[in-house]
Amino acid sequence: MKALMSLGALIGVAGLLLLGGMFFDIVPSSTVRLVEGYMPIQLLLEVACYVIGFTGLSYMMNAMGMAIPRFWQGIGFWIFLMVYLKYRVYPPIPFSVRAMYGTVGLVTVFMWISANEEDWTKFKQPIMNVLDAQTGGKRILRYAYLVLLPILIGGFSFNAMLPKSEEPIELRTVHPAPPASTKVHGKTYTLQTSQNPYRVNPEGKYDQEFSNANIVEQGMGRLMKPNSNPWDEKNQGYLKYVREGGEIFFQNCHFCHGDNLNGRGLHAFAFNPIPANFTDPGTIAQLQETFIFWRVSKGGIGLPNEGFPWASVMPPWEQHLTVDEIWKVVLFEYWHTGYYPRTWD
Amino acid sequence: MMDSITQKAGIIAAAAFGVVLVSTAGYSSVSAQGLPEGFKKGELAPEPSAEMIEAGKRVYFTKCVWCHGVDGAGDGPGADRLWPRPRNFNQGTFKIRHTASGELPLFDAKKPVPGQNDLFETVTHGLPGSAMPPWEGILSEEQRQQVLSFVTTQLVKDRKFTDKQSESQTILQLADLKPKPATDESKKRGAELIVEKKCVECHGMEGRGDGNAFNLKDDWGFSIQPANWHKCWNFRGSRQDPYNVSNIFRTFSTGVNGTPMPSFADNTTVDERWDIANFVNSLCERDTLGNPLPIDPLTDKPKINFVIPSDPVEGEIPTDLEHEAWKKAPKRYVAMGGQITHKPRNFVNRLDDIWVRSLYNDKHIVYLVEWDDRTKSVAEGKLPWAPTQVNIDIKEQDPKTGEEGSIAAHQNNYAVYNDAIGIETAVKWKELPAPIKPRYLFGTSEQYPMDIVKWEADGSLRAFKGTGWDKDFEERDNYEEAMKLLKAEWVNGRWYVMIQRPVGNKKDQDYDEDTFFEVGQYIPTVFFAWDGHNGDAGRKMAVSAFYYTFMNPPVPQETYIYPVIIAVGVVLLEGWVLTRRSNKKKGKTL
Repeated sequence: MKALMSLGALIGVAGLLLLGGMFFDIVPSSTVRLVEGYMPIQLLLEVACYVIGFTGLSYMMNAMGMAIPRFWQGIGFWIFLMVYLKYRVYPPIPFSVRAMYGTVGLVTVFMWISANEEDWTKFKQPIMNVLDAQTGGKRILRYAYLVLLPILIGGFSFNAMLPKSEEPIELRTVHPAPPASTKVHGKTYTLQTSQNPYRVNPEGKYDQEFSNANIVEQGMGRLMKPNSNPWDEKNQGYLKYVREGGEIFFQNCHFCHGDNLNGRGLHAFAFNPIPANFTDPGTIAQLQETFIFWRVSKGGIGLPNEGFPWASVMPPWEQHLTVDEIWKVVLFEYWHTGYYPRTWD
Repeated sequence: MMDSITQKAGIIAAAAFGVVLVSTAGYSSVSAQGLPEGFKKGELAPEPSAEMIEAGKRVYFTKCVWCHGVDGAGDGPGADRLWPRPRNFNQGTFKIRHTASGELPLFDAKKPVPGQNDLFETVTHGLPGSAMPPWEGILSEEQRQQVLSFVTTQLVKDRKFTDKQSESQTILQLADLKPKPATDESKKRGAELIVEKKCVECHGMEGRGDGNAFNLKDDWGFSIQPANWHKCWNFRGSRQDPYNVSNIFRTFSTGVNGTPMPSFADNTTVDERWDIANFVNSLCERDTLGNPLPIDPLTDKPKINFVIPSDPVEGEIPTDLEHEAWKKAPKRYVAMGGQITHKPRNFVNRLDDIWVRSLYNDKHIVYLVEWDDRTKSVAEGKLPWAPTQVNIDIKEQDPKTGEEGSIAAHQNNYAVYNDAIGIETAVKWKELPAPIKPRYLFGTSEQYPMDIVKWEADGSLRAFKGTGWDKDFEERDNYEEAMKLLKAEWVNGRWYVMIQRPVGNKKDQDYDEDTFFEVGQYIPTVFFAWDGHNGDAGRKMAVSAFYYTFMNPPVPQETYIYPVIIAVGVVLLEGWVLTRRSNKKKGKTL
């Protein structure tokens, strides 16, 4: 038990030092990087680590006879949570969302400290002591509170009432419901039944197994399989079309969606909504190939209202590319990210 | 004590070097007699292992080949629509280095020195302002080393990184050189030196890259532009740390191979180089308090605030930029990307940001728009289309290099049109339930149009109604008379344009065409910018995302009253709690 708790304490201290160091630029702020696409789980894990750390820490302090009063433990943890949400999480969460997390955090802390009568008494003891003011120090503290509280609360409300111009929060549906069919260059494609005509084996037959065997490997770098180089002149079928799709991608799409298909292209910084990140497991990996075909063909202007057609700069690619070129680009996007398109069955 | 000794040593070394310099006047390259100050001889790195090279090939053909090409000649499928173009590796010419001018960059696959492994740093941090992204977090450190092993051994064809006969390494000892504090004195000396060393000839009097911008070519004959010192986040060598003066010091000391930017190591002392670097660094855009702008780590550009606040003024809105009201008005960075949604697409937009401030009074709102444009462009003669025409005959930048109409052939060679700026605001924005707006590109339809105010460098200020991306503009009756151009001036590579327009009201303005600017409301606003020397006209332009003009209301009286009432309430509450507590203790019950 003790060993376990010391381990926890160690984690807690190390974590706090690291976080503090990163906030104050003592160690580079990129020491523990947030990996794209895994951020939520990473943050949850981190917070879990801190909870374990704090438990261990408080146990150790207790054992060493330097127990921190329950009162300060509760307040300390809540402050830690708020600081963590404000400075660690990136991209930053808006204040309203932080306030919600803060309230939930506060309720949790209260539940924890009022779990039994004894804990609750321990928690409110310091407050009662100040109210009763039986020692000189406590008396000074009481008067300080009496003066400071009205000033602070008045100041906060003044600040809150000053006219502000914070950016309105607008929530957008990234993957709106697709139509049943779409008409591109005069031909109607039923989304449920259409297939990518270039997902074919060297014999020219639709072959998902063949293409899935030749996509890049998942894992750091997402590199091509050693024997599946789309730049090999001898390629027939799938890989040949991947290369042709790549050529189109790097003449048209990378300006926004980026050289690594992560939505960080040359022009991406200027636009809002930001271009889709295909390497994120929440985008093309969740969708059917025909859905992408529809989105690419019709672009931002073809979105339903929940997708913000007025703000999206995604071109309706039917104005720039042929149907074949669009299918090839879709093929390339799945190859390069190493994801399988979802199928209808 | 130590400091003063090193300083003295530095002065002696500088003096000695000065003597050497005088005696070798006329030689521009590093002479055998001595090394430039701050440099030391280094060893060539050993050849990377065959496994590294083979593994690197796999990385290269997954990630790099698309722009840099199969033979590394910078001619991949993506190359033709990029400017600056992807690097041609074949000649071994690399821009950002710690090595003397003309030398190969540092690259050691086996024992890398952190921060000094030039090519590795380039791949890790990318080259901001170009299409080369930072690969950190995408490729592992090992993969980055592998791909560089492949590039340096297989794709650099004219030179050899390990050939002791032909290659040498004279390394800038950046880690040992302590930056000089950026005092006013140092910056002042730097300001004098950039004139003396003729930096301003290319970089311009204010360092906006507007000097000799038109005749510059790189080693391959492609057009190239001098850096704009006010946008340090676009410095190729900024290593994602744009306000770090050491990066400027390094670039200035080693030069940029393959470009007209020489190394100044031979004719400046280390001390002078720090002065220049401090001055150049001080020019980079900062906030009103003089602090560096916060940089968004996802884009490596300044963080964007989509609200453009407009402050109220009493009486006439001042036209003088030095006026207190303009100095106090918050200045917003508005990011601009190429318009690549509809034809003609603008892949190479030369305007990537504008700066906007705004003031208003009871009748008018004024936008002050400033942006860096290396060239003042005014079309010669009359333009061959009407100002309202949208679908004009402007060619999209063609993809094939070498052929007529390609970006490479066209760059700095376009027919010159007017520089222009457009401010587009939503008409009837209140009728649409938030967040719905008319489409950013000239509105959605006749029912939900956009109010477009466009200034052109020929001095015209016009008002249009946009009803769709491919619909010709409609002139707004008499509206132009209600607007006023308060300022339009191009100085040393920067436009200053001040446009005044009515805030409008429902009573005497046309509700179907004009935007009403209402205090305390978010008014959707989009900006367009055209660079005449880039052949920009019609839809070939730079465009921003949706921003919001927000006219700050004057602080209402209640703001001062309620907090006082609340504070008094808290005092009463305190009294009640204390009385209750003491009563309880005394055993009394209320």
